[in-house]
Amino acid sequence: MDTSTVKIILQILHYLFFAYAFAAITSYIVLSIISGKETIDYLKKNSFVDYKDILSSTMSPSITIIAPAYNESLNIVENVRSLLSNHYVNYNVIIINDGSKDDSLERLIEAYELEKADFIINEKIKTQPLREGVFKSKNPAFEKLMVIDKENGGKADALNMGLNISKSKYVACIDVDCLLLENALQKMIKPFLEVTNAKVIAAGGVIRIANSCTIKGGKLVDVNLPKNLLVQSQILEYLRAFLLGRMAWSRLNGLLVISGAFGILDKETAIAVGGYDTQTVGEDMEIIVRMRRYMEEKKEKYRVSYIPDPLCWTEAPDSYKIFISQRNRWTRGTIETLRKHRKIGFNRNYGSFGLLSYPYWLIFERLAPIIETIGLLYFMILVILREVRWEYALSFLILSYLFSVLFSIVALYSEELTFHEYKKKGTGYKLVLLSALEPFVLHPFILYAAVKGNYDYYFNKKKKWGTMTRKGLATTP
Amino acid sequence: MSKKIVLAEDNTTLSLLLKFRLEKEGYELFMAADGKEAIELINTNSPDLILTDIMMPFVSGLEVISHVRIKLDLDIPIIVFSSAGQEEMVLKAFNIGANDFMGKPFSPNELIIRIKRLLI
Amino acid sequence: MPDIQNIMDQYHDLPFLIQLAWALSGVLSIAIVLLTIYLKIIRSYLRKKAQHHLAYKNKYEIFLVEYLYSGNDDGSLSDTQQTIIKKLKTSVKNKAKRKVIISILYKLMNEVSGEMSDYIKTLYHETGLINFAIDRLYNKNWYIAAKGIGELTRFNIEDVNEKVSEYALHPRREVRNEAHLYLVNLFRFEGLEFLNNLKTPLSEWAQVQLLETLQKFDDQQICDIKPWLRSSNNSVVLFALKLAKIYNQFEVQDTLMELLNHENKTVRIASIEVLTNLYGLEAKEMLKANFKDLSLEEQISFFEMLEKLVIPSDEPFIEKHLFHKNFEIQLLALKILKSINLDKFMAIDKKSNHKKANPEILKFVKST
Repeated sequence: MDTSTVKIILQILHYLFFAYAFAAITSYIVLSIISGKETIDYLKKNSFVDYKDILSSTMSPSITIIAPAYNESLNIVENVRSLLSNHYVNYNVIIINDGSKDDSLERLIEAYELEKADFIINEKIKTQPLREGVFKSKNPAFEKLMVIDKENGGKADALNMGLNISKSKYVACIDVDCLLLENALQKMIKPFLEVTNAKVIAAGGVIRIANSCTIKGGKLVDVNLPKNLLVQSQILEYLRAFLLGRMAWSRLNGLLVISGAFGILDKETAIAVGGYDTQTVGEDMEIIVRMRRYMEEKKEKYRVSYIPDPLCWTEAPDSYKIFISQRNRWTRGTIETLRKHRKIGFNRNYGSFGLLSYPYWLIFERLAPIIETIGLLYFMILVILREVRWEYALSFLILSYLFSVLFSIVALYSEELTFHEYKKKGTGYKLVLLSALEPFVLHPFILYAAVKGNYDYYFNKKKKWGTMTRKGLATTP
Repeated sequence: MSKKIVLAEDNTTLSLLLKFRLEKEGYELFMAADGKEAIELINTNSPDLILTDIMMPFVSGLEVISHVRIKLDLDIPIIVFSSAGQEEMVLKAFNIGANDFMGKPFSPNELIIRIKRLLI
Repeated sequence: MPDIQNIMDQYHDLPFLIQLAWALSGVLSIAIVLLTIYLKIIRSYLRKKAQHHLAYKNKYEIFLVEYLYSGNDDGSLSDTQQTIIKKLKTSVKNKAKRKVIISILYKLMNEVSGEMSDYIKTLYHETGLINFAIDRLYNKNWYIAAKGIGELTRFNIEDVNEKVSEYALHPRREVRNEAHLYLVNLFRFEGLEFLNNLKTPLSEWAQVQLLETLQKFDDQQICDIKPWLRSSNNSVVLFALKLAKIYNQFEVQDTLMELLNHENKTVRIASIEVLTNLYGLEAKEMLKANFKDLSLEEQISFFEMLEKLVIPSDEPFIEKHLFHKNFEIQLLALKILKSINLDKFMAIDKKSNHKKANPEILKFVKST
């Protein structure tokens, strides 16, 4: 190969990277604008809504909260109590003790005066069998509660058991260690009840980070910005993802994922598609994609809704080790889902789902870390070959850095003008500073975890299955 | 000695309103914003009567009743407040031992009458 | 200043793309700085607003409590009350204060009744709060008008019903919904007249709110719901079915029977449920005769009906469906058989080798 061919190849690569970056940035700008519009609409619509009748009416549709628990004995009693005190009349709570090896079940029996109940399960979705059985409380004050003790089968399997058991029209799938605010169910059920021109198959909530917040008696009393830089950065990341990203995709009806930590599904549709997939580490994304696909194939109008109110608070990983393994799992979940449903991608039969949402996820979520890594390698080769044109490299590096800082600040604006959770004096300054630091303290680790996730997915099958049976309950935001 | 009343209610204006009224009638009031606080107040102050909203954050009115009747085994009068649509919960409340209920919206004067009747 | 001159010269010598990148970077940097400063301003503004809100709330809450307790025995306004009204009259001119006062009154209207709620309404009139709400009705922004309607509903203001009625067929669902609630809140069942002309779907959300509003009143004299059961708008039919169920409308049984053949499945199923509640024995016989032609969901609803309305002569029919392929039906059929003929039920064991029999269900029904 003579030098001119190398030069041409380099030149082409150059332009490809440039085009990719340009497209990514454009998409961010477009999504921000759409999310701004959607946020304003949402605020207008909700400026006069009265939830009182809905929450207290027995005519409101029934909801079952399904909360899988695995070795959660430390906090399970408190967490269940907070689930039982949601402000909604027509709901019940099913705790699925997924083969825990600790004393979770004993603690629940003791605290809620449970006794074994006769129960027959219509096994519409195949699951692991019961272990100790089904429990209900003797005390009418806890009538809403049901505890199922089953053999371990992972989070998806536990959720499927809940789907089989629930007699409600809707199921709210949550992580048992999340703090749900008391108005969570009434707010989340709203889209199902008000949309009349399409069937709402699922609604997703926002996940907020509870580290360093004061929780008293199942209530969020005080919101604080944690000291830990990693957790701080994740707060900023979540704000961007939820207030800008999800909000925009919700307007486009293009949401591919609702958080496994808190989302409501239409039970009938969830069962019709066969429930959660027990073979993936990203079951929360996968089921939404499958439900959408099902509706598209049935040619029925549907929606996946999104409620931006901060209703669900959870602990984020505060060590890099746990953080990386969490992101590694998310990466594998995304790859699995996109691969399993690759038929949808670029397929006109699936409408905007196939032509917009899927390709976007593939190109800007799934492939981004890979392209970034290739870019870095390419850059290093250039350095070795002394081919770097520093004046270009430097100016564009600074430009993209400034852009990412600006994007974070826009997300901060979105937060301040809507929910304004971080009220304390001095926090604003810290959040801006964080916007400047985040590209250095969080991004490299996300990239590393994503690359590792890719590696594990393709070359380390043992790891893939290993994490699944260990199955932490942490979920995609 | 004045009779003691524990009032568990999460709407602050209503609590304030009832507090003024009941104190004027000569009762001693202990205010709780949720069921958990109510249980603490009941444990420490041994009230003569309990007023509790049925739907409260974290620990519901039902649990407050069952705490008083089962855990503490006391038969002091309990009046529950309920909103429209909570009939089922009111029935449950009676089953575990509530003495009376007031459906919101209610008239504070009516409440006073019922309290007096229960405290004779 | 030679340095800047120098930099400018170098900048002009750069290739276009780099020039562009630096120029954009400059713009972004300025934007970041400005936005940061503005963010600080917004945050301190919001903080101050929250502080004021709290201070106002504490202040006006005490005012209002005092107002409510200082009435004359004959129900007329006392001097203390007059003074408080005067004070509030100036306060409500301030938007932030008005918001706080309204929100306190709003909450109280939900919780107190009788003489107290009358006093609150008087206050609402006398302080001129009512005028602000009426002004909103004429606002060109739909969400402000909707908010105004909501407020007038809560305080039972009747004089604006003509204006509000105009909104009952408004193109925005949210506005329509508020107008409907207003009408029903004031005129109860008569307020439902808008259903006659409603072409747009009535959302489930709106239906629940309307039903709850209707149930608030002591006077539960319902009007004729037949026209709505026959409406061409399916959501109106479903709403009327809910009314029939809640208010035990035995007189519409015949119309309900017609709905068993409605083209919409949800309507058909809801009709079966309502007829179950109304002891529709005639409907039961009819459905039994057509059982084969029903959809699975209707079949399940029918068995739920049978569970409540079964009579001994249904036994052969139930026996025929004991081992229905559907889980729910099989469970219900066994339960019903057990309730009407225990001996026969206990004898099933021997012949339960039917290929669709689910031994778990049998075991469960036996044990309960």
